[in-house]
Amino acid sequence: MAVSFETVYQQIRALVGQTRTIPIGQLSRRDLERFAVAVDDPNPLFFDDAFAREHGYPGAIAPPLYLSSVLGWEAGPPERSLRSDGTPDNDAMAVPIRGLRVMGGGQELEFHRPVTAGMDVVMEFSVSNAELKHGRTGPLLVVQLKKRFLTADGTPIVTCRENFIAR
Amino acid sequence: MERAKLFFEDVKVGATVTPLVKRPSTVQLFRFSAITWNSHRIHYDKPYAQSEGYPDVLVQSHLHGSFLAQAVMDWAGPSARLVGFRWQNRAIACPGDVLTCSGTVVKTEMGDGCGYVECELEERNQRNELCAPGWARVALALRIERSK
Repeated sequence: MAVSFETVYQQIRALVGQTRTIPIGQLSRRDLERFAVAVDDPNPLFFDDAFAREHGYPGAIAPPLYLSSVLGWEAGPPERSLRSDGTPDNDAMAVPIRGLRVMGGGQELEFHRPVTAGMDVVMEFSVSNAELKHGRTGPLLVVQLKKRFLTADGTPIVTCRENFIAR
Repeated sequence: MERAKLFFEDVKVGATVTPLVKRPSTVQLFRFSAITWNSHRIHYDKPYAQSEGYPDVLVQSHLHGSFLAQAVMDWAGPSARLVGFRWQNRAIACPGDVLTCSGTVVKTEMGDGCGYVECELEERNQRNELCAPGWARVALALRIERSK
């Protein structure tokens, strides 16, 4: 597919500075545990309330990357509206990169307080930067996202800066 | 698994983070995509992944990061607190690869009622290629309670 990098770049640049507030709702114990199971990380802090309390937590905690790894908190768009690569382009965390190959680039995380099941969480999502670069294999876009996770009353939980690369 | 308590005073610059070996499978990638609601086909649809030029489905960016976080939390023990963490995705990994996460303590500093340890981390494959460098800042308990 012919894609104008310049057009995509300008569309993403236009989003910089806009913050979308996304309600995540109450965290499910089962989801937190399933994330740990999927990582194959049997740390009892993630499963055993008594063990977690012995180590100073209010109860079992989420694996540290849980909140910042989930890519959608809504029911999600119908399959027919997904891009050809399977990613959504019209949900709350979507960025307009249709036609480009996308890959995660990593995250930088600050953990402000432990994440436990039942917490009511809100995410503030924004595109913080976009750069058009010329790599060895052609042009690429480096997009930086900022995801701030807060309790419903505004207490910071996790701050995440994430990069992805579109080619 | 042994989950010993690590005290700040016992950790010196140059100490090693106990290596953790991970062998991701296609089932693991599928389940990780499911729980993170990641429908990107490069993670579960091999012909599609090949159409983008990859040899097989790819380990998710966030799963690489999770492996490094697991390594540092296992090493630091359940009384430690992970306060900062980062990783970068540098090279792809596929099911069947053997990924070893390791690290080195690069800085220690006293805090208020605890000590902070910073580690440089890396995840390498069986060919010793760097898949993901990382970094963690961990708060550790003091062996001796000190008055301020």
